[in-house]
Amino acid sequence: MQDSTTKIASGTSSRLTDMIRATTKAVEANRDTINALNVFPVPDGDTGTNMLLTLRSIVEDLPANSTESANNVSKTLARSALLGARGNSGLILAQYFKGLAEAIGDATELTGKHLARSIRIASDNSYKALPNPVEGTMLTVYRECAEVAEASAARNDSLISVLEDVAAESLASVRRTPELLPVLKEAEVVDSGGFGFAVMLDGALRALCGEQPVGRILDVPMPEGKTFSGSVKADFVDASEEIDWGYCTVFAIQADNLDLDKIRDHMDRIGRSPIVDGTEDIAKVHVHMENPGEALTAGISYGQLSNIEIANMDDQAADWAADRREDDRPISETPAATPVDIAVVAVVAGDGLTDLIISTGMGTASIVEGGDTMNPSVSDLLAAVEAAPSDQVILLPNNKNVVPAAKEVPGLSSKDVRVISTRSVQTGVAALLEFNATQSLDDNESAMNEVLGEIGDGRVCLASRDVTVHGHEIRKGMAFATFNDDIVAVGQEPLLVLDKLITKHAADAEIITVYTRETLTPEQVSTATETLENKFSDIEIEVVYGGQPHYEYLIAVE
Amino acid sequence: MSIAVVTDSTSDLSPELAEKHGITVVPLNVHIEDDTFLDGVTISSDEMYRRLPDQKVIPQTSAPSVGTYIETYEKLAETHDEIISVHLSSKLSLTHNSAVNAVAELGPNGPRIEVLDSLQASMALGYSAIRAAEAIADGSSLDETVAMTKSTIERAEAIFMVDTLDYLVRGGRIGKAKGFVGSILKVRPILAIQDGIAHPLERARNRKKGITRLKALVAERAPLEKLSVLYTTDKDDAEAIAAEVASYVPNGELHVAQLGPVVGNYVGPGLLGACLVRAESS
Repeated sequence: MQDSTTKIASGTSSRLTDMIRATTKAVEANRDTINALNVFPVPDGDTGTNMLLTLRSIVEDLPANSTESANNVSKTLARSALLGARGNSGLILAQYFKGLAEAIGDATELTGKHLARSIRIASDNSYKALPNPVEGTMLTVYRECAEVAEASAARNDSLISVLEDVAAESLASVRRTPELLPVLKEAEVVDSGGFGFAVMLDGALRALCGEQPVGRILDVPMPEGKTFSGSVKADFVDASEEIDWGYCTVFAIQADNLDLDKIRDHMDRIGRSPIVDGTEDIAKVHVHMENPGEALTAGISYGQLSNIEIANMDDQAADWAADRREDDRPISETPAATPVDIAVVAVVAGDGLTDLIISTGMGTASIVEGGDTMNPSVSDLLAAVEAAPSDQVILLPNNKNVVPAAKEVPGLSSKDVRVISTRSVQTGVAALLEFNATQSLDDNESAMNEVLGEIGDGRVCLASRDVTVHGHEIRKGMAFATFNDDIVAVGQEPLLVLDKLITKHAADAEIITVYTRETLTPEQVSTATETLENKFSDIEIEVVYGGQPHYEYLIAVE
Repeated sequence: MSIAVVTDSTSDLSPELAEKHGITVVPLNVHIEDDTFLDGVTISSDEMYRRLPDQKVIPQTSAPSVGTYIETYEKLAETHDEIISVHLSSKLSLTHNSAVNAVAELGPNGPRIEVLDSLQASMALGYSAIRAAEAIADGSSLDETVAMTKSTIERAEAIFMVDTLDYLVRGGRIGKAKGFVGSILKVRPILAIQDGIAHPLERARNRKKGITRLKALVAERAPLEKLSVLYTTDKDDAEAIAAEVASYVPNGELHVAQLGPVVGNYVGPGLLGACLVRAESS
């Protein structure tokens, strides 16, 4: 470590911009680990990605001129952090940069006291920003770091010494998160967002001390006697600009006596997120691969291949990123061009659900693509709201991780924006059914809010890794069902798990709507429909193609 | 000096109600393939709803001819000095227009005839005709009767839930509700006839929830002067609803009415609804 009194010749602002750039490099280098930590309970490991994309949008807005003073640099920080904030973690991260801007104020030089103050503001704001703040998360790490930073700054206002103390405390705090949040303990992980913050501080400290590379891979601070089992890709250190998605490879294998488990294990060894489904005669394989040829070679060893589809997810991701960066408008499937009295903007993933929202929105709805693994940023939502063909806009986040970002939009938009806190796309559809273009914005808002409490939402998905949650041992590839976020059923066959899920709620249900996943064939959908309608003849069951990624089934119970 | 009341078959006045109030009902026409039927006279509602789901043959409807009105008015003129003629919303049908043209044809030498546009359908029209008859029975002049009938028209509304919007769409009788068509989900649209046209009110996720909403919409409009529960095919459901909404009208006096073939052609089987007249605010 260098002497804490070291002054960096080029002045304070380059110190600040360098530190922010370094935090981005550090998160880049550790993104996979941060994502891997964020696996509970559904496979939406995107904390690292969300934090990184949020940081990148901040870096893009930094002044190119490194001689700008700290107060000039900090001016843009709060807004660009908020606009770029993606997902819950991005939003909590944005609070830190808002804090930094507020703490620096008119000062031209960043000090230890500023740092301490910024973390304190971040902590206070984050606890306020979330409806149900939970300990053992990034919030705890902020709060504990703020305490250490304040004590440290009181002793010595040097930026380096405060940052050293905070960086050390962040790791210690992350290590303690499983003690505060039992679910982390069960899953044998620590909090991903908290770890992401520790990674950022590490990068900032290395930049301040002039150490290279600023972005190094950090060991996950696990509780005593535990090690993090998640795999980290070695080649990730030189994280490229582009997100490495590989190819989405889908094909069918036909043969006699297929062993689906064996094929699934095989695909798992050579690729990512494999889904293998089918019968003894035919297997449908869906796997993400760097080299799709490898998957086909593996498949052909089991039987004849057919219906081969290979999509370059890098291209998709790049297109997606480019669309966002251009910022003209977010991906909007149907720009509702004709002026309407009230416009609706909804976040949706999946072609079937998109069609459903468009049709249910009666010509008023535009779509921001996103959801569980692709949380749209505040600026994506804002752009869609601004592009909507009315000055009165109803915003449906349709995902509980998008709700906080959505709530920032009314304060940033010139329009009258009402956010209905739809925690899932199922509740979003229910809310949209209450929408009436001939009523006032106020009336629509209250009618739509009212229905939120009347809808129960459930989902069936395949576990992306072995995990124990609330005493349920779920092995990778098994299907499990959650209802209002509690795990209610586990099994091998998604349809049977769906059956169990519905059985549990049949007594108080009048209508159950089931949305099916993109990978389900029309035959599978009609089998599901028939099975359910026969079994639950007392309830109205409507099975609709949702086309959503990740979830085999989404259900709405009303 | 006596005044006659005329309305048309879309008022859904039962023969008993029409007779009781001395109202003359002019039928519209239903055309199925090459056959023409008189609405509610030579084709019954039940027969119409039995035929409707057949998508191959889409029934057409037409307004009573000017000649039909002329005959009706001339016949009434033999026993009456003046006529008030109240009809189906001019925005949904030429029925009102036909009556206006008949009056013009009859010229200044015919009886004095006041033609009113109810801007409504079914019993929401029927109640205006009944109001006219009641006013006349009370000894009101034609001018007074017209004023009172117009007051009823202003307070009358038909609210209904359809199983599907298909019939409204294929008949083109949908106004602002057109944009309301949508959802891939099976929803039950609830509409109201306002300012002469069908407007969307709400969408219910199923029939049962829709019935609950219908009752609530009726309750929101209380106190009421008149109320009828409307159906096309489900009389039992209508009677069950009637039992629950009877308290919103004086003495619980309400009607259960079956929607006739012409209007039924545009809404289809499975409809439930209410026609009401809000009480005059004191």
